[in-house]
Amino acid sequence: MVTTVRSARQIAALNDEAARLGLRATMALADARAMYPQLVAIDADEAADRTMLEQIADWCDRYTPLVGLDPPDGLFLDISGCAHLFGGEEDLRRDLIRRLAVQGFHARATIGDTPGWAWAMARYGISTSINETATNSVHSRASGNPDSCRRISQHDSGFPLSRGRTEERHAALLPLPLAALRIDPQIAAPLAQAGLKTIGDVIDLPRAPLAARFGSAFVRRIDQALGREEEPIVPRLPVPSFLAERRFADPIGREDDVLGTIVHLAQELARAMERHGKGARRLQAALFRTDGKVVRVEIGTSEPLRDPTRIRRLFLDRLTVLGDEADPGFGFDMIRLSALAVEAFDAVQTGWGTGDPARETAHLIDRLMARFGADRVQRLVPQDTHWPELASIAVPANSIAQGKDRHHDSAKDRALEDSLFQDSRIPVRPIRLFERPEPVEAIAQVPDGPPVQFKWRRVTHDVAYAEGPESIALQWWRNDQGMPVTRDYFRIETRQGVRVWLYREGIYQDKDNPPHWFLHGIFA
Amino acid sequence: MERSLTGAQAPEALARLRQSIEKIQHYQHDNAPMPLGLSEADRLLGGGLTLGALHEISPSAPVHLGAACGFALALAALSGKAGRSGRETLFIQTDMARFEGGAPYGLGFDLFGLPARRLLVLRARRALDALFAMEEALKCRGIASVIAELPDDSADLTATRRLSLAAREHDGIGLLLRHRSASMPSAAMTRWEVSAKAGARDPHGGLGTTSFLLSLVKNRRGPCGRFRVAWSHHELAFVPEDPVAVAAPFADRPADAAIA
Repeated sequence: MVTTVRSARQIAALNDEAARLGLRATMALADARAMYPQLVAIDADEAADRTMLEQIADWCDRYTPLVGLDPPDGLFLDISGCAHLFGGEEDLRRDLIRRLAVQGFHARATIGDTPGWAWAMARYGISTSINETATNSVHSRASGNPDSCRRISQHDSGFPLSRGRTEERHAALLPLPLAALRIDPQIAAPLAQAGLKTIGDVIDLPRAPLAARFGSAFVRRIDQALGREEEPIVPRLPVPSFLAERRFADPIGREDDVLGTIVHLAQELARAMERHGKGARRLQAALFRTDGKVVRVEIGTSEPLRDPTRIRRLFLDRLTVLGDEADPGFGFDMIRLSALAVEAFDAVQTGWGTGDPARETAHLIDRLMARFGADRVQRLVPQDTHWPELASIAVPANSIAQGKDRHHDSAKDRALEDSLFQDSRIPVRPIRLFERPEPVEAIAQVPDGPPVQFKWRRVTHDVAYAEGPESIALQWWRNDQGMPVTRDYFRIETRQGVRVWLYREGIYQDKDNPPHWFLHGIFA
Repeated sequence: MERSLTGAQAPEALARLRQSIEKIQHYQHDNAPMPLGLSEADRLLGGGLTLGALHEISPSAPVHLGAACGFALALAALSGKAGRSGRETLFIQTDMARFEGGAPYGLGFDLFGLPARRLLVLRARRALDALFAMEEALKCRGIASVIAELPDDSADLTATRRLSLAAREHDGIGLLLRHRSASMPSAAMTRWEVSAKAGARDPHGGLGTTSFLLSLVKNRRGPCGRFRVAWSHHELAFVPEDPVAVAAPFADRPADAAIA
């Protein structure tokens, strides 16, 4: 694999065979070609590497929800408090390496008490009594490219160690090259010229001159490796407030089994959330397929939710729509249900006979959203403008509180009607509005008057009665897309009794821009 | 038209027979029907529009879609009135229907009598999605009425039967708003064809209240009929207009003023 560094073609990664021939990464391609003219070189695809790394990170989610990316080829896993689920740190590490090897990845993993230390040992460490590392390279199958070879380093950190082991770990760090401190080669090079090549060489030097000469970042890296300074792992995905998971010895694939598991997990989750007085607004089910793919199914709710049967219903709707996207393949070996967003939710007395209609509506909204997408279930909200298209906008139904002011409906309606001055008995606004006003051909008797005849969708309509004009102008501060400034609206009744909303754009005096007529809405 | 209005003996007898068969089939509805406030229509419907049932509405010609939609909204507004407040209306529209007939306009709904804040809008991609959503919504206690707008003949006998069964679970009404009047059989309780009617002028010479010409073309519980009604969006009530053409003396007076 070849990449271009400063306009020179360089080897970015190579397979075992090439390594055995004496080639190595960062070697110029021209040099390698000189040694072996028949060398097969392909361009490195950084985007694909990144995607692959994210997929592996997804998969690593099975060990801990706190997975941080370390591009181009590393991952940080915070396993504080997780290790015992896998029989201890060492077993977790072996399990991770073994499972990755089965998938065709060669990985080195180190468990350390700081991310810096783990990074250094995973990349530059030699086999020690503390950490046993596998060094065999395997072809990466998952990349779909038999000639590429990938080394994935896993750095695990975050387990508190005893003082004795801490010192031992410091000692292990000393013989490593400075690059193990995650510093820029531009900093490492002058240090190397000064004869400072290993971490041991710099660790006891006076800090102030070091910081002054090489920057505070360099000193911070030393501190981070030694654990003198905290370094949080930035999780790739938001860490859920509540989660429940289940692993299977035999993978499951039937939808019923998956949903059954989700119900069990939802019950666990409900108990945990109830203790804290919370309900979920956003839930995610992560289905871990045996071949490493992770299917994430997310649902949103319009009010805090704990009820496992309702959660099941929502996932059922969502899975129905996903279809092939949630294909179980050879089965799922782990399912995790996590509450990504929670809100305060006090327990309420529930019963089938006396269900609250508003709550049922909320649940219906959730289900429709799960099935058709959040942007398709809407409420119409009036806006503070007269411009027809903007005066009423559609927003996702769960984004506004439901049932507010319900008892003041009639009073508010009256107020609304009063606010729109009305000179006739029909409502001044149509019940249906075209998103794009439809052009019509209209004939008006006088230049600024209402039309006497118009042709809409190839049918000619005679105007029996017209009311207007009602001039509506777009606010000047919104008028940045070259929209016309004013429209003259007419309420029209045709001979057949059909009532429509027509408007004229432009004026007749303007010879260059003759007015155009549009049909914008339909009255009842 | 006149014949069905006067109500000949045969259809009445047929309706009685139908009602007794419905009883045998446990079609009996516990819900009191929703009176439309039109004595003639309510008599033919057996007290009013059956709640917990499916009703079909279509324009008599494509150009009357606005009127058909208005009638559906008026029924939805009635269904959300008195005793059923706090319940919502779901308006389902397929993308095709939206493209052909325009989107529901919140301000217009407010002024017409159906408050937009009690309205949910679902934009369905296909008619199948719309039917699914309608069925689910009819089973929901918090929904007073569901309007599903379909531009094509996708709701067949099976689909309408499913919807009728779903509607029976509660007292919500399902309104199937078709863009064309369907000729295929349907399990709906009633079928209406609506056209706009040039309404009376208001006292100031402006456009008067919305008027419809309603044709009840199918009625499972009685004979059919034709009615001329006006909708008072202020009072949320239908106002009957005289079926006999007496428009001339009334032309300069609004219909609801005549009633008062």
